[in-house]
Amino acid sequence: MIDTVLRREFEAALGTESVLSDPLQLRTYECDGLTGFREVPALVVLPRSTEEVAAAVSLCAKAGLPFVARGAGTGLSGGAVPVAQGVVISLARMRQVLDFDPEDRRMVLQPGVTNAEISRIAAPHGLYYAPDPSSQVVCTIGGNVAENSGGAHCVKYGFTVHHVTALRVVLPDGSVTELGADAPESPGPDLRGLFIGSEGTLGIATEITVRLLRTPESVRTLVADFPTVEAAGEAVSGIMASGIVPAAVEMLDSLAIEACEAAVHAGYSLDATAALVVELDGMEHECDEQFEKVVALCHEKGTTNVRIATTSDERALIWKGRKAAFAAVGRISPDYFVQDGVVPRTRLSEALSRIAAMSGAEGLRVANVFHAGDGNLHPLVLFDEGAGESERAERLAAEIAEMCVELGGSLSGEHGIGLDKACSMPEMFGETDLAVMRQLRAAFDPDGLANPGKVLPTPRLCGEASGRYRPHPLEEAGVIERL
Amino acid sequence: MTEVTEEPQGTVRASGPPADGAPEPAPEPAPSAAPAPGAAQLRPPAGESGTAAGELPSRVRPPGLAEAADALATAAHERRTVLFEGAGTALEWGAPVAETGLVLETSGLDRMISHAPEDWTVGVEAGMPLTRLQEVLAPAGQWLPVEPPTGGDGATLGGLLACGDAGPCRLKYGSLGDLVIGATLVLADGTVARTGGDVIKNVAGYDLVKLMAGSLGAFGLAVRLNLRVHPLPEATATLALPVDDAEGALTAARAVMRSPLEPVAVEWDGQRLLIRFQGTAESVAERGRLAPDVPGLAAARVLGEDAARAAWQRLSRLVRGEDGETVLRAGTHPARLPALLRRLNELTTGGAVEAELVSGVAQGLHTVVLRGGDAAEHAACLTAWRESVYGAGGSVTLRRRREGVDALAAAWGPAPPAVAVLRSLKRQFDPDDLCAPGRFAPWF
Repeated sequence: MIDTVLRREFEAALGTESVLSDPLQLRTYECDGLTGFREVPALVVLPRSTEEVAAAVSLCAKAGLPFVARGAGTGLSGGAVPVAQGVVISLARMRQVLDFDPEDRRMVLQPGVTNAEISRIAAPHGLYYAPDPSSQVVCTIGGNVAENSGGAHCVKYGFTVHHVTALRVVLPDGSVTELGADAPESPGPDLRGLFIGSEGTLGIATEITVRLLRTPESVRTLVADFPTVEAAGEAVSGIMASGIVPAAVEMLDSLAIEACEAAVHAGYSLDATAALVVELDGMEHECDEQFEKVVALCHEKGTTNVRIATTSDERALIWKGRKAAFAAVGRISPDYFVQDGVVPRTRLSEALSRIAAMSGAEGLRVANVFHAGDGNLHPLVLFDEGAGESERAERLAAEIAEMCVELGGSLSGEHGIGLDKACSMPEMFGETDLAVMRQLRAAFDPDGLANPGKVLPTPRLCGEASGRYRPHPLEEAGVIERL
Repeated sequence: MTEVTEEPQGTVRASGPPADGAPEPAPEPAPSAAPAPGAAQLRPPAGESGTAAGELPSRVRPPGLAEAADALATAAHERRTVLFEGAGTALEWGAPVAETGLVLETSGLDRMISHAPEDWTVGVEAGMPLTRLQEVLAPAGQWLPVEPPTGGDGATLGGLLACGDAGPCRLKYGSLGDLVIGATLVLADGTVARTGGDVIKNVAGYDLVKLMAGSLGAFGLAVRLNLRVHPLPEATATLALPVDDAEGALTAARAVMRSPLEPVAVEWDGQRLLIRFQGTAESVAERGRLAPDVPGLAAARVLGEDAARAAWQRLSRLVRGEDGETVLRAGTHPARLPALLRRLNELTTGGAVEAELVSGVAQGLHTVVLRGGDAAEHAACLTAWRESVYGAGGSVTLRRRREGVDALAAAWGPAPPAVAVLRSLKRQFDPDDLCAPGRFAPWF
């Protein structure tokens, strides 16, 4: 419990304007992008510096209070859902760019800087930050570190862990340390790599050093229509086997195309059963050479139409359509769940057939939008809560995630486990594996105060039902998209 | 000044097939005693280890995961310390291991578990040599983009994960730890745990591979590794730019990194900057044609295939070092190179020790080789230069030392800021300090 004395301690450390305890204000923080899970915190603090984060965490440690770090709250796995009677540490006021070194292509950021802001600042120097989650306009680099965020270009460029080189971190006991280094090698185990993707359970990153890449000289993008999902899948296989490393390969099925067109009018063909978005980037000469090969491969695999973006506006429209897919589904269904499972790429067709069969069996529609290049599916289970379909939809969504594991894949490619999938972890890992993960967590957080209940299953949590997807207010407003 | 023997530079011509820069086959055997083929799992005690080995073997060579786990569980039960040994190319890294009750050889764990070329994944056991994996991958048009200087010595994948060595193309592809997508680990008490998975994109659970990456065997053994592989590039070319000062090398490296040419490796050996490109045959030739237009690269020349291979092999040999040499690896902000090289030259001017520095100048990774002089001079140079590196915000790993240096100089510099976390992890995963005890002494 947080009593007045304790609240005043937080206020003394951070200033009264940085501590929220009014019930109305607290409600703003009750959920993240996965709005089905809600919990009102006891206190919200808004630190401005590493020292203030450390002060807040120290007070939590002293009082034995659980705390949850929060960036923009766009996460889709309930990773930033508060803990009852706990503290939310919002990093929203930590938005400074602490250092930018264009010469050696790196930037040091506070955690509240948005993903898109990094590339915007770097752009005049011909540089950019590669990971590009769809929520990049609002999601923060701190949240990206917590989730090891990906995006559409992972198959070529990797994830957050490949682009964040060093971290200043407040540990769950309130102490401050550094993980990683100025150079990509430093003595001892890779604590930086361990921390990235730990979903706020090992501490809070307060300064983040990212490496920047040179903006590719050329980017080429196409949309190819296919009469069957299998044919589109074969085209993907053909591209991946050709020695080309595409920047992105995305697939949409007919239901997803229908939704996108209803929402964005991005020029996808409504009569296509499947559409592929393929993007190549790099040196102009090489890009052109390989792009011709990709176009030929699409024809070889039976494409019915290839649309090539000839201007950057056309390319942006293709991506707008692709990235709007999640929100667009709202146009054709009152409610939906989104899944994030991964299958080995060669089992995509099989996974899609099984999803179709499961969808038929439950009598619910599933729209498929996914990163075909790396096998990261995003099936959207459509349902109508008003018609009493939510239970079946929940069951179908869970079955799809578990099928991904059965096919040799993973529960999550980029959204994280969070609260949403913690109870499914035993589908993917054995009890010993999970026990070892608990040991790792205990090494950083022996008292279990940092984001408890996330990532690993607990008996209390897993006796409860999971929530369903509701659009984030920012998503409804068209500010962010989902991928 | 660093001493470099100039290699003959090849004629200017377009590149041919990939010269992947892999080191030539080792002219001499690995430093450690190689096991006899099909050696029995049990060997007589080494005797000189000074441990109470009793009648139990001092060396095991498990043929599979279960046997490896059994060996560690037994060792833990008997409170025997354990040293993991792959090809034995990095056993000298860090501080000397205080005692070895049991050597666990990974040479029996050398199977390919799976290869899904279309998924760009491969599963191997930890004792598989990198070069053997490359031979298996090549017919499928793939490779694992790691090229450590010890590749030719039979360096194994498990060993490369534990030491974190990668080679010049780390610039583009990262190190082995970046390419491992899942693993099966055996911890100090014999616990077998899986982490990650078999797919190239996956964020489920903690990535315990990172605990093994750079661990030098102090946190357990990764017995099975799932790796992401890459398409073998159609062509490779190397550009050489004569440049004998660190400022010039740094400026040229920055220029090429800012150019559209997308180099995969940039290394400076004190005399010239080597820049490697990979891609389609046409695009690699095009890069060679365009490179002289990059500011500061007008004097760069494409090396012929043989000259390029020789140049990279020479760098590889230098970085690996020879008996009698002391080899340090430093990581710093790239901009610190000129000052640190000046400092190195100050330290060696007038003495018998000769220092040579090779720098992955675009990444801030510098290898310093000390040769000549006696152990005292090596130790003094190591200690003083390391202090400067730490002063510049960097760190140093001692990879090889002239005999006698250990008595005169600490193996490690100041403890890293996260040493408390490292100690806490060690307490969780190896509370009795059985795995490579002393390797990170005095940090933990």
